[in-house]
Amino acid sequence: MFGFILRRLAVAIPTLLLLIVVSFLLMHAAPGGPFTQERALPPQVLANLNAKYGLDEPLWRQIVNYVWGIVAHFDFGPSFVYPDRSVNQIIAAGFPVTLTYGGIAFVAAVAVGVALGVAAAIRQNSWMDYLAVGISIGAQVLPNFVMAPILVLVFTLWLGWLPGGGWGGPIYWIMPVVALSTSFMASIARITRSSMLEVLGSNHIRTARAKGLPERAVILRHALKPAMLPVISYLGPAFVTMITGSVVIDMYFSTGGIGRSFVDSALNRDYAVMMGITILVGALTILFSLVVDVLYAWIDPKIRY
Amino acid sequence: MTRLFLTTALVAGMALPALAVQPAEGEKLAENQSYTFWLLDAIKTADPQKNTDVEGSDIIRQLFEGLLNEDEKGAPIPGVATGFDVSDDKLTYTFHLRPEAKWSNGDPVTAHDFVYSWQRLANPETASEYAWFMELMNVENASAVVKGEKQPGELGVKALDDHTLEVRLTAPTPYFPKMVTHGSTFPVNQKVVEAEGDNWTQPGKLVGNGAYVLKSHDLGVQISMEKNPEYWDAGNVVMERIKGLTVNDNNVALTRYQAGELDRVQIPAGQYPRLKEQFPDQAVSIPYSCTYAYLLNVSEKGPEALKDVRVRKALSYAMQRDVVVNQILQGGQKPAYNWTHWAIEGFQMPEIDYASWSQAERLEKAKALLAEAGYGPDKPLKLTLQYNTDENHKKIAVAAQQFYKQIGVELTLNNVEWKVHTDRMQSQDFEMARYAWCADYNEASTFLDYFRSTGMNYGKYSNPEFDRLMDQSKTSEDPNVQYTAAEKILAEDMPLVPVYQYSKVDMIRDDIKGLPTENVMNDWYAKDIYRIQK
Repeated sequence: MFGFILRRLAVAIPTLLLLIVVSFLLMHAAPGGPFTQERALPPQVLANLNAKYGLDEPLWRQIVNYVWGIVAHFDFGPSFVYPDRSVNQIIAAGFPVTLTYGGIAFVAAVAVGVALGVAAAIRQNSWMDYLAVGISIGAQVLPNFVMAPILVLVFTLWLGWLPGGGWGGPIYWIMPVVALSTSFMASIARITRSSMLEVLGSNHIRTARAKGLPERAVILRHALKPAMLPVISYLGPAFVTMITGSVVIDMYFSTGGIGRSFVDSALNRDYAVMMGITILVGALTILFSLVVDVLYAWIDPKIRY
Repeated sequence: MTRLFLTTALVAGMALPALAVQPAEGEKLAENQSYTFWLLDAIKTADPQKNTDVEGSDIIRQLFEGLLNEDEKGAPIPGVATGFDVSDDKLTYTFHLRPEAKWSNGDPVTAHDFVYSWQRLANPETASEYAWFMELMNVENASAVVKGEKQPGELGVKALDDHTLEVRLTAPTPYFPKMVTHGSTFPVNQKVVEAEGDNWTQPGKLVGNGAYVLKSHDLGVQISMEKNPEYWDAGNVVMERIKGLTVNDNNVALTRYQAGELDRVQIPAGQYPRLKEQFPDQAVSIPYSCTYAYLLNVSEKGPEALKDVRVRKALSYAMQRDVVVNQILQGGQKPAYNWTHWAIEGFQMPEIDYASWSQAERLEKAKALLAEAGYGPDKPLKLTLQYNTDENHKKIAVAAQQFYKQIGVELTLNNVEWKVHTDRMQSQDFEMARYAWCADYNEASTFLDYFRSTGMNYGKYSNPEFDRLMDQSKTSEDPNVQYTAAEKILAEDMPLVPVYQYSKVDMIRDDIKGLPTENVMNDWYAKDIYRIQK
């Protein structure tokens, strides 16, 4: 197992390098640049800007300089659009925000989703099943960009309970967490339910029941763990998606997370910010798919690496 | 050398002990003097020489003060300078700075600060995206400094002593005093900028000379400021705290305004009539110095059809501006038949023939012109309109498609992302393109210079007569004569389809007073704002 983890980490480095090179090239291939504006800049001003940010060098050199900056100084460069901020500062300000609401939303989605899924499965075709399925379908079909303005309307304007946006104490977290977690929760509930149903029909559950174990023990001790396998393979990428932010959440709740920065940087051609967040998301994705694989082996003894 | 006090407004301003707008008689000030305004996007920078945005300028105008400010109608009034002299050849301006002006750290604001900041704007090392503004101001050697051919020290700006600033221009520039109200000309504190580097604009580090100091700034969330006790006119500043909240969605921002979180917000297109009826004291529509148009590509790379003036006129005539303004936008915008915004100070609207026709007449004429140009049912004119992603641009484009159908033009819509749109316009890779121009200063040349052969002019329109008039205007006693004549030429050559002229359509809380309602630039100063008791 230890060897497996080491091998995976070794592969991660070239993977990240490839990610950097490909995104770098794709980004530069897009029309326009960070200084393309409605009012075209005089050639000399543009040249001065390009020189300042090193954009006048050949692409390969820019990539080498960029990677070297990261490796040697952990410096992701200056933002081209926010001249008083570096990429490190932008990520350091935005990522904790995203991590907070994304992390809470993840825990909420897993807790509620799994509970709903299990409840539906063990009482299949009862009112509880229909209710749970109903809730999860409702949550699934209501996209967060519809839900977010509705939440603001209800809880800020009508009820006056919650601030309509911004970032501060826990009171600011509620609406972002609800809006972000619902569709994940619905997916988790659906996956849990179907996987649970499958497990409940399997031989080892019949054996467990036949030997007279109480239903509670059958579910918790024998059914839940194997039923979680497909859920876990879904959770790995879902976790990364949630903690690296959602542009919709950042947009509607002005949370200042990196989801919005990511999209903005792409639209603004803020090359350095875009690269920085791409690398962050890439590294987290690699890390959590590794975590998922390790969890797999722990849950299912049949899996060996 | 003649001593000039700008305008009557300046004289009036100087006669008064206080320049800040004061509560009117009978108005009682509220206990809570705070003002929260809406920002659509994150503030990119609070550095006057590096800012490029309108919203950034709104912040910079509170944290810094330039030589001159604007009054509630947009006319220049004293700022750090109490007045200025202009030489007889109109090439040298001498500004007299008030000795009591201070930085927020207590240091005096001197002419040297302005020299440093103006050099900083032009210096290639700063790499300011607004370096061209110094060239637009015609400051001596500005272009050479920006190009790196001359040292920043050779820029035509000099401190004669601590409180006298001399600026030399290369050409008479009638609108020069209006340009020094622009944020890029505001002073920065050399010591602080050099000590802190790119981080000098952070809260706690930023030293300004404006009526407010920066308290906190969370990128894309909020920016807050407090009254600056060191400001020279602090005694007349009523508003204590101001705060900008970023809300990326206009509809959510409106909801938050209604929930009491904001004091001012833009009204989304189409909602003004409803809100005006519901909140007559809060919904306002103020002329705003931008013009919306479809640029026509008349360059070599443009389509053959658009090289024919009859086709261009037909396209302009067939644009049903009333529908755009009254059915789509519904916010008090005005139909545009010309390029310069109607409310620009001193601008005299020429008589433009098709403006007075009925839409039916315009349609008839458009059809006749197209037929003359050889287009008809058997040979329909096909064009592509490119616009950048935006709900309102889309609505207008879809409407335009219908308008043009009525004269037999098949319009294909091409929606692209903003940077792609801009990039293609700048390389003349378009047929018709959505465009808007906003004034840099309150004078018609900011619009008309666009269509000079050497101007920005993405459609590459060129008419020597137009250029000659614009050259003439620079030294003219009353440049508005040339501006009016130049507009007539545009209406004859029609290198664009003017669509509408902007209004700023906002909800403003009715206890907030002192925001300008007649300044077409919509520049506001928090020092003039106050909240009254209801």
